[in-house]
Amino acid sequence: MSVSTLATEALAVFAKEVRSELRSRVAINAIGLFGLTTLVAVAYQIGPYQIHEQDRPHLLAALLWIIVFFAALSGLQRVFVKEEDAHTAKTLRLAARPLAVWGGKLLFNVVLLAALEALLVPLYSVLMGMHVVGVAPLVVLLAAGCLAMASTATIVAAIIARASGSGTLFAILAVPLMLPLLVMLIAGTRMAMTSPRWGDLLPALQGVGALAGVTVVASVYLFPVIWHD
Amino acid sequence: MTDKATAGIWHWLLGAWMLLVIYGAFFYAPTAQGFVGESARIVFFHVPQAWVSVLAFCVNLWASLRYLARRDPLDDARAAAAARLGLLFCTLATVTGSLFAKVMWGEFWNWDPRQISIVILLLVYAAYFALREAIADEERRGGLAAAYATLAFVTMPFLVFVVPRIYFSLHPDTLINVRGSIDMEPRMLRVLLASLVGFTGIFVWLYTLEVKLARVLIARQRRGES
Amino acid sequence: MATVRITFSELGKRFGSRIVLRGLSGELRPHCVVAVTGPNGSGKSTLLNLLAGVMRPSSGTVAYLRGDRPVPRHRWHGLLGVAAPDMAVYEELTALENLRFFARLRGLAHTDGELARLLGQLGLASRDVRRPVATFSSGMKQRVKLAQAVVHEPAVLLLDEPSSNLDEEGHATIAALVARFRGRAALAIATNDPREMAWGDERIHLGN
Repeated sequence: MSVSTLATEALAVFAKEVRSELRSRVAINAIGLFGLTTLVAVAYQIGPYQIHEQDRPHLLAALLWIIVFFAALSGLQRVFVKEEDAHTAKTLRLAARPLAVWGGKLLFNVVLLAALEALLVPLYSVLMGMHVVGVAPLVVLLAAGCLAMASTATIVAAIIARASGSGTLFAILAVPLMLPLLVMLIAGTRMAMTSPRWGDLLPALQGVGALAGVTVVASVYLFPVIWHD
Repeated sequence: MTDKATAGIWHWLLGAWMLLVIYGAFFYAPTAQGFVGESARIVFFHVPQAWVSVLAFCVNLWASLRYLARRDPLDDARAAAAARLGLLFCTLATVTGSLFAKVMWGEFWNWDPRQISIVILLLVYAAYFALREAIADEERRGGLAAAYATLAFVTMPFLVFVVPRIYFSLHPDTLINVRGSIDMEPRMLRVLLASLVGFTGIFVWLYTLEVKLARVLIARQRRGES
Repeated sequence: MATVRITFSELGKRFGSRIVLRGLSGELRPHCVVAVTGPNGSGKSTLLNLLAGVMRPSSGTVAYLRGDRPVPRHRWHGLLGVAAPDMAVYEELTALENLRFFARLRGLAHTDGELARLLGQLGLASRDVRRPVATFSSGMKQRVKLAQAVVHEPAVLLLDEPSSNLDEEGHATIAALVARFRGRAALAIATNDPREMAWGDERIHLGN
């Protein structure tokens, strides 16, 4: 019998998630279509010409994260809810260590959200005329935001999957926890539109990074409790 | 003297204390300068309510962590009791804060970061109860609610401490006085501290009542099983 | 390696105000298959869930012992194989992909050939191992479920109605499985099927 590490087990869970999702495409469709539809609706109604120059950084930053946030809410809970719906949760619970399950599913949500950002942010910049001055700091902010949002969504998804599993409950639980994150992401994005300096984005970057760290650490302690009765 | 008699005396004392606080808020404390009319007097009620809602949040966390460690149903009852009272005081703090905002700035809501913080705390409490309502099994309900409470607690400092640094706040410094400088006028400070003690006493009284009731219900359930 | 046994003492479980199990004590060990019997709703599946550690008892204790040393709870899953009606495998994956996933989770490096052989031993035709489980009959899904329960040669095997959805040939396959694991694993079968009951060396009857 070979020895497996938590990392290899988590990667096995991640690989299974990717394979399953590529075959069913439920989460990809939900997140991708929701994001694109909302973006098109916003761009059509508002577009790059309707906003005054001095309001652009505030409004464009806020609208971008609203679109990303609600697209994420539409699909990130599936990693756990589908296990309970399909009755595979008990099978997985008996076969894998809790942190391997959490790690693999978190990684999947991070990749899914990163793909969403990679699709939406450039499109949004083009359709809404968002000109980013600090590109490198914004990319780092997007990455940190992706981890923070995915880690919060993953642990909340684990909770609601063990409750009723409803999408409404997911939103109710996730919104209060993600609001501080959204505020910091919007502030940082606004900065990136007006300044190329890392120092100007630093408060937002530090806040988002710290929140991501805190959520990940809390999840490591809480997930085994949530996963097992 | 019996426990019941002692408790009765404390309750009467608390009632008298709060009457003094109310008197002090309206007649003893001077009018603060720089505020519309007497509107600053709301601070003697608004600040303690906000303080108690945060205290309740802390008690909820403590009881939640105990439940996760020991799985004692009484700890889950304690957590729920603290959250119920936290929701009540948080609502009161939001309402009194909005009234003050209306008088002072002409709008009930100004999107000030402190206002947002208290509303998000309200949303957290509401989400906590929505989660509890969605779970029929008692043990699972306790565990999941405790996990959510812990998660919410670690996220809240970002809202309270980090976000206000990023945004300018309309919220007045809590240290207000007749002359408008940063030190709080001694009489106002006395009334504020007395009000803090009084509201904390009200919270402890209501919390103790809820926990006593929970203890009775749990004992009855256990007797029914055996 | 020392064998694993499970001891349970004064085990009880209630759901709300409904008491399902009360004051149950016993032991699972190799060379002694335990058949758990009782009417529907008597707690057969609940007992297996408690022994597997997926449910917390309302009272009493469950302990896994290797030799005389207790096994910590977080290591139970490595020793356990469970197949139950309320468990499923991944329908969007093939039988082989399912088994490969569960093998990897348990740190096994089995080749596809070895995994396919195991599925064959449990009655799954070789032409079916690369088909998605969603296309399987309930009997075929049951065989995949059993395969994931035994792929790691568990020291504890808990089977809840193992022959359900299976034909005569499937029943014979389960009988062979029980015979194979009888001497090396602590084995419990929850059932109301007289033929499955007959495999038990000891019986725990629930419901009175």
